[in-house]
Amino acid sequence: MMFRLGIPLGIILLWASLAVLGQFLPLSPNSIELSKILLPGNAQEWLGFDDLGRPIFDRLIVGARTSFFVAFSVVTVSLIVGSLLGTISAYVGGWTDLAFVRVIDIFLAFPGILLAIALAGVMGPGIDNVVIALSIVGWVGYARLARAQVLSVKERDHVHAAVAIGTRPIRIMMRHLLPLISAPLIVEASFGIAGVVIGEAGLSFLGLGVQAPEASWGSMIRDGTRYMLVAPHMVIAPGLALMFVVLAINLLGDWLRDWLDVKGHGRRE
Amino acid sequence: MFHFSIIPLLHQVQIDFKIMIRFAMALGALLLFPLLISCTDPPTNVIRFGLATAPTNLDPRFATDATSDRVNRLLYERLVDFNDAFEPIPALANWEQVSPTHFRFHLTPNRATFHDGTPLTAQDVKATYNFILNADNASPHRSALAMIDHLTIHDELTIDFHLNRPDSLFPSFLTIGILPAQLIQAQHPFHSKPVGSGTFSFVAWPDDTRLELVRLADKQTFEFIKVQEPTVRALKLLAGEIDMLQNDVPPELVTYLAKDPRLRIQRKPGTNFSYVGLSLEDEHTKQLLVRQAMAHAIDRESIIQYVLGGAARPAQSLLPPDHWAGAHNLKSYEHNPEKSRSLLAQAGYHAQAPLRLTYKTSSDPFRVRLATILQYQLAQVGIEVDLRSYDWGTFYGDIKAGRFQMYTLSWVGVKTPDIFQYVFHSHAIPPNGANRGRFHSDQADLLIDQAGTTQDLREKKHLYQELQAYIAEALPYVPLWYEDHVFMAQQNIEGFTIAKDGNFDGLKNVHRTSPSMAL
Repeated sequence: MMFRLGIPLGIILLWASLAVLGQFLPLSPNSIELSKILLPGNAQEWLGFDDLGRPIFDRLIVGARTSFFVAFSVVTVSLIVGSLLGTISAYVGGWTDLAFVRVIDIFLAFPGILLAIALAGVMGPGIDNVVIALSIVGWVGYARLARAQVLSVKERDHVHAAVAIGTRPIRIMMRHLLPLISAPLIVEASFGIAGVVIGEAGLSFLGLGVQAPEASWGSMIRDGTRYMLVAPHMVIAPGLALMFVVLAINLLGDWLRDWLDVKGHGRRE
Repeated sequence: MFHFSIIPLLHQVQIDFKIMIRFAMALGALLLFPLLISCTDPPTNVIRFGLATAPTNLDPRFATDATSDRVNRLLYERLVDFNDAFEPIPALANWEQVSPTHFRFHLTPNRATFHDGTPLTAQDVKATYNFILNADNASPHRSALAMIDHLTIHDELTIDFHLNRPDSLFPSFLTIGILPAQLIQAQHPFHSKPVGSGTFSFVAWPDDTRLELVRLADKQTFEFIKVQEPTVRALKLLAGEIDMLQNDVPPELVTYLAKDPRLRIQRKPGTNFSYVGLSLEDEHTKQLLVRQAMAHAIDRESIIQYVLGGAARPAQSLLPPDHWAGAHNLKSYEHNPEKSRSLLAQAGYHAQAPLRLTYKTSSDPFRVRLATILQYQLAQVGIEVDLRSYDWGTFYGDIKAGRFQMYTLSWVGVKTPDIFQYVFHSHAIPPNGANRGRFHSDQADLLIDQAGTTQDLREKKHLYQELQAYIAEALPYVPLWYEDHVFMAQQNIEGFTIAKDGNFDGLKNVHRTSPSMAL
């Protein structure tokens, strides 16, 4: 329990709180001190300094904010848009549904990160465009899941009853369908966060994300690759941060899936 | 004007996938490093030279980029060369000035024949220069030789250049490699199959990444290998896959390589001039106070010490002081944030209405890093700088078109003082020259014109020094530094001397003292 829930939850809470409260901490992520260039960590500054003499610890915290902000915006947008479109499509059915499935198939057939790179490249670098690009790629998974789930529940009696008493379709979807399909969507979203964190880091690594001097874990790794022989700490710190956050999200997602799974409960208890 | 070609400080105009591939390669190289050590055993009879950019054109009539120019110097001989003070010295020919507009060149008796065995004669000189001067051939070097009216052959070994205006510096412009007349006539593809009379002859150029030349004196083979990523280049040097490198390695990596006992590092002060260019038409940067404030805000000494690893010397002028027309004791702007702030205050800027500038730079990571440091130092005195990095093509296009407030760039390979005419004369606004900041000064124009037309070299030198003193006061550029040349090689590679302008002529004397190290 400690390993499956405690540690991941701790890491994610730390990530979230640094992201939210980071701006109130006395950080100087952009203060350049030429005499400290590439210095490794010491007792005061654990993580050392980067190629401009900026403290890596401070930049790591600012980077946490970037990844947190991007992850939650993208997952929120994707989740809402995807589940709404998926639900509507499945509920309406017929030609609309067929066309919609084809659109989803096309999106899924295209490598997601490549599409995001192309979009971010066309729209220009910048963190807003990263959010847009990743959302355009991200909504498809939720739409497909929502559609499949709605198809399996829309013939249930309570839905027929609601139709029979003349409830408006929007109300049926909101009140009678979405609550039933929310559990798998939440699980999907929790895994989605990990994907987006990696996606943002990847785009920033390619120079399409945050612009200098702002920090992101991806751009920190990118800066560090050029000094890997000389100052490996520049890559290791953001690399480990990224790894731990993604690992924690995945572990937590696993736990969440088991916990929401009715059948699993029965077996364990 | 081929004496000062600007090479892109970032040569890649790349799409982002390329970056990805490069980093993947760097990462891959790191991971494969132990493998490489165990499985590569380069043959000892080849000396390999690592390059950041490959040559693009081995025809000296058309080549303009620095790497091609440096390789062409090995393949072809030219009439005139330069000494360390950038004074013209005889190469293929001695010269005498018969009249102000008439120069006579005598080919030296001990010159080499062309690689195809034909002797180099006055005919070849004439054919080469006539080809360049013919407008139909669209040689990029034609405009720099516009003072040539016509050439006449006096005898087999003597050729006369007749000028349309007096120019006592004329021999300095005759640095183009001489090609065999017969092959010019036959439209031989020199750009890919060069035939010259240089100390090296062409062997093979199978693709962009590998060029093979042989030194005629001892049949020593040299390979020029393009390795774009600096880290990979350094790793290949460590692994013994390449034997030597010159420049284009980040200072930190040089320091790292210097610690390896298997390698030797040489340095030599260079002449490539880095500067901050400013628009003299912009309402902010046209004020002298603002430019002075910026000059005092930049801590060049610290940047040289910590970022460039000490491998540069501060610059006061476009020409270094050891150039024959260079100036000493020019006004220098020391790092003084206090003074900078008060200058800004005099110009009417303060915390509520700060000076805001847009700063353009290329997307080369090292240039972006330098730009970020300058941005920070300017912020310390209250100048808010918006840093924008562009791919080389966009950046250079904007600079040439005058679409900038502030940028940083370098002049590479400057040899003759007519650069001042090209860069600071009011008639040299692009496309007529490189006065990109739109610097208009009657006094500078007057000094440039006088220095250009004066035939007495001592007077010329004096006028150019006066001009440089004036420019240091007027500050159309904020001068930064001259970067050193750094040469890195295996311990068993000896005999290389670094050239002042970074050319590869040192390869003429390079040899391997012991068999390639066993790895």
